Amino acid sequence: MVARLTLSAADKRVWSIIGGIVLLGALFIPLSQLLFDMRFTYTVRVVALGGAVLGLLSGVLGSFAVLRQESLLGDALSHAALPGVAIAFLLAGRELSWLLIGAGIASWLGLRFLSAILHTTRLKQHTAMGIVLVAWFAAGIALLTYIQSIPDASQAGLDHFIFGQAAAIIESDVTLVSAVGIFVLLTVALLWKEFKLVAFDPEFAGANGYRIGLINALLSTLIVVAVVLGLQLAGVILMAGMLIAPGIAARQWTQSLDQMVILAAVFGAFAGAVGAVVSALDSDIPTGPMIIVVSFLLVLFSITLAPGRGLLWSRLRQRANRRRFAAINTLRDLYRYALSHGAEDYPAPDDFIRGVRASSIESGLRQLRAAGHIMEAGAGWRLTESGIAQARRDRRNQSLWDLYRLHGDELSLPAIQEDRQLDIAAVLPAAALELLESKLKPNESL
Amino acid sequence: MMPLERWLIELLLNIVTRDELNAFLRSPQNSAALVGGLIAVSGALLGAFLLLRGLSLTSDAISHTVLLGIVIAFLLMTEVFRLPGDTSSPWLILGASLAGVATVLLTEMLYRSGLVRQDAALGLAFPLLFAIAVILVSRYVEDAHLDEDAVLVGEIGLAWANTNSHCFSNCESVTISPDHDAAKFARRCSNCRELGISPRDERARFTEICSNCREYTPAQAWSAGLLEREPALVFFPKSITVMLVLTLLTLVFVLAFYKELKLSTFDAGLAQALGLRPGALHYVLMILVSLVAVGAFDAVGSILVIAFFIIPPAAAYLLTDRLSLMLLLSPFIGAAGAIFGYDLARGQLFGLIAIADGIAALNRLFDLALPEKWDSSISASMVLMMFILFLLTWLLSPRYGLLSTVIRRAKRRRVFENQVVLAHIHNHQHTATHEIELNVAGLHEHFRWSKQKMSRVLTRLRALGYVRILAGNAVLTERGDRQVHAFRKTMLEAHNMPDLSG
Amino acid sequence: MPDQADRSDPQESPPIALSVDDLTVAYQEKPAIWDIDLDVPEGVLMGIVGPNGAGKSTLIKAALNLIPRAAGTVMFYGAPYEQARSLVGYVPQRGSVDWDFPTTVLDVVTMGLYGKLGWFRRPGKRERELALHALEQVGLVDFLDRQISQLSGGQQQRTFLARALVQDAQIYFMDEPFAAVDAVTENAIVYILQALNKRGKTVLVVHHDLQTVAHYFDWLTLLNVEVIAAGPTAAVFTAENLRRTYGGRVTNLNGGLLAGAAGG
Repeated sequence: MVARLTLSAADKRVWSIIGGIVLLGALFIPLSQLLFDMRFTYTVRVVALGGAVLGLLSGVLGSFAVLRQESLLGDALSHAALPGVAIAFLLAGRELSWLLIGAGIASWLGLRFLSAILHTTRLKQHTAMGIVLVAWFAAGIALLTYIQSIPDASQAGLDHFIFGQAAAIIESDVTLVSAVGIFVLLTVALLWKEFKLVAFDPEFAGANGYRIGLINALLSTLIVVAVVLGLQLAGVILMAGMLIAPGIAARQWTQSLDQMVILAAVFGAFAGAVGAVVSALDSDIPTGPMIIVVSFLLVLFSITLAPGRGLLWSRLRQRANRRRFAAINTLRDLYRYALSHGAEDYPAPDDFIRGVRASSIESGLRQLRAAGHIMEAGAGWRLTESGIAQARRDRRNQSLWDLYRLHGDELSLPAIQEDRQLDIAAVLPAAALELLESKLKPNESL
Repeated sequence: MMPLERWLIELLLNIVTRDELNAFLRSPQNSAALVGGLIAVSGALLGAFLLLRGLSLTSDAISHTVLLGIVIAFLLMTEVFRLPGDTSSPWLILGASLAGVATVLLTEMLYRSGLVRQDAALGLAFPLLFAIAVILVSRYVEDAHLDEDAVLVGEIGLAWANTNSHCFSNCESVTISPDHDAAKFARRCSNCRELGISPRDERARFTEICSNCREYTPAQAWSAGLLEREPALVFFPKSITVMLVLTLLTLVFVLAFYKELKLSTFDAGLAQALGLRPGALHYVLMILVSLVAVGAFDAVGSILVIAFFIIPPAAAYLLTDRLSLMLLLSPFIGAAGAIFGYDLARGQLFGLIAIADGIAALNRLFDLALPEKWDSSISASMVLMMFILFLLTWLLSPRYGLLSTVIRRAKRRRVFENQVVLAHIHNHQHTATHEIELNVAGLHEHFRWSKQKMSRVLTRLRALGYVRILAGNAVLTERGDRQVHAFRKTMLEAHNMPDLSG
Repeated sequence: MPDQADRSDPQESPPIALSVDDLTVAYQEKPAIWDIDLDVPEGVLMGIVGPNGAGKSTLIKAALNLIPRAAGTVMFYGAPYEQARSLVGYVPQRGSVDWDFPTTVLDVVTMGLYGKLGWFRRPGKRERELALHALEQVGLVDFLDRQISQLSGGQQQRTFLARALVQDAQIYFMDEPFAAVDAVTENAIVYILQALNKRGKTVLVVHHDLQTVAHYFDWLTLLNVEVIAAGPTAAVFTAENLRRTYGGRVTNLNGGLLAGAAGG
């Protein structure tokens, strides 16, 4: 049994990113006071804390929304919360907890209506979501317009719920959000295994006796809670972006769900806090849009630079591969031509070799010559001694791979991933390799 | 735009008098309903194809992205070219809709990278562009036509007020120059700012400046009281012209390419093979959606506009299976929503129910003191009215409506239950175990049905003469036997199978 | 009438592992499977074979309570599914999950134990050992930390198989385990199934390829909405039964197939 006590390199990388951002976040206020002599008022600190808590929550639950391929559902749900806010205000006045409960109910009704349309009509999901999104939003706008006609209601600040206004967050709001947030996070931690299984393979979960309907409903409810809590900060129109962006960014860095969710939480907290602070310092900038811009920068950064998946690395990898293939293919062409003419160092005419492989030939010839594998011979190319050795090694490696595919089962060799670009000696244990080599025909062995 | 408007007005003046026309256009309700109706017609025509192509939310995407286009074009116009800020200018509409199409292309690239799923790419890119637009609006734009409220709901209620004037007789343009009788002059200190002194300072020098010297169109001249005789004027709302042009464009596109659109929506591969260029059609469709979204921005803002694309076609889709009918019905549903929506904003639901009564009832019930006067956003109410029409369709559509579906399903369930029992009896009545399998008292256990359900089905089968009870066991009658065979035949034909029972 | 070849004297037969009684399942009131009776004795390796749309997957899903039944009962060793859950292992179709999900091979295999763990409890060291053991059996130990999207189709299928093995069930349901895997993997999977079978487990496999039926399975159910025939492969795999299952379309295959059946 292999006991995994040490962290792999990839794990270390992810954890150090997480640690780094957390440290940066914790030291943000003391550092910026020390270095830039910035003075943050008490209000700005409260706003920053609120932004961080909300960002963290939406990062965690947004990860599940992204994995369940429900990114657009978040958009519909957040738009749908608006009429709830307005009705709660009409009935109960400006008490944040009531407004949020109203938002939650409206959003939940939107969800029910969505599934009712999908179950009873032939409308597709996109259309149904569009209907819920815009109809609920229109109801909200109509109610808000009506509310503005009520004397003294204009100071209520309900329009903060549309684009988000961090400056309106006060200490009691942060307390409320944190209390609900702790409850939500505890639920996610307790049901971690269940959420993971249902998100990955609901059918298997069902066959194992998990109540998929219940778990799904719970997860959706938690997502609604996260959306509703975040409304004050990001606003109904842009909440969906704040929900899913941290998860999408985090997904690029890691292959494990645990790390993805933690990283998404950290990204979310970072975006929430930065967005909130910037908008609190400059009242002309609404909070929601600012958070979205920060989140998207994180996504852009992750998509380009994340090790392994990142666009930059895969571009570089592709280029390196193309170069390598050009060299090896040119070598093979030259060797094959030489063999078919009876001698390993028989020169191949230049125009023949260019005719065989037009596109990558320049790069191939250049690399081979630089490595000393070929030299010019009249109007053609001749393999040098090192070139011949290299070509033989390559041919032998390919034959061994062929044999592995052919006899791997009957020799009961260990199962390895077939990658013909690799040296088989590097991936197969020595004993297994010997068995394979014994199958080589005499003229192929060295 | 002007010559077109003039031509249109001349056409209309053949039918109505100038005063009637002006009165009609100056009514906020008529203008709003006309603009809303035109948006609904063009939106519904395009939306029907979006719906069938599974692209309904692309209209959401485009409406978000064109906002950024509008804001950038607006800033370019006002800050760089120093033109008056006018969101219904044709140049702005063209530029902004190009931005919309470009962004659709960009998101397609984003999910083609393979790192982000399509829904995530949509869910991410459009909020971002919208966010940038909102930041630009709130930070740099100070204009009544382009603030955060206008972004949300538009100003369809003011469509009547933003007009071009056309003069038909007694047309006198007036130019007031400094030597004109009506010229007014003001004294202004010419070197005060330069020297930093007050006008009372003795070093101050003064020049006389004409404050009303410029060219006056007949309409401006008349309202400034410069004319003796009233010119014959018609004030034509700009939004109507813009939407009229866009609606005509859409209509021409859909009529001219009906066959191509139909085929490439249904089977893009075949359309390609037949040389119909579905890719190009797709982008023309996207350009038109962008154009309509930008053109409608003034009236309904950039979010509510998606309702005009999505809801009416969705309702029509529940009414008919035929594309041509769908294209005919959805503009009507949309236009009806726009027209009745205006009344809803003023507190009347189809002229039957007054919202004020509802609020009064609420006040009584919850002991609240809400104002009973309901005066709300017109564009939002139009959307709500379309939604109400959708709900009615959903409930009552003869083919796909909730009511008819419930009735049909209940009927089918009854037939199905009958067939389950008949097949069971048929399969077991000549086997050794038929005493166990077909005993009436225990029959419900085999199906895991309740006793009541079983006896209900059995009663029905006996009444139909398919089943007899023989010594406590259920037995098929001859009729029942025929029924089983007939059903089996249709059922297996559905699976493309030969009849097995023969 | 369906052949009920297994309805012999109950005293001589092994216990019935799976008993399906009058099962009907409908999508939108259209029958997918229709009044099915089926008894599967313990310890058989059974193929479920039939044309597309014959209800093969539906039968498995209905047995496992994944889709609602319109009528009928299913018993596992005489108990309904809710009470017999620990006796049942399940391998869904490979295409039913998102292979880009951020998780590793070992993690997926450990999921097989979640059912036994129950609510709230987390997998620990013991579960890890069990999962590693299952991975050894399918020859994927070297891949335990691999992200699942980096696996080949055959390796994904073997991961799913390991997840079912770790459940240590008595009766296994496999939905098209050979779909889109290469011949080597197919052989490896068959080998594992036969090893399971030798240990006395009952294995039910939804299968497509008539050529290999006689070779792989000792028990066979021919299904086309109804059970056409069920019983020992040698008895059931006849030209007549195939014609009744597939219509006339396979008659030209019969010669070769049935020769194989006789030999196997």
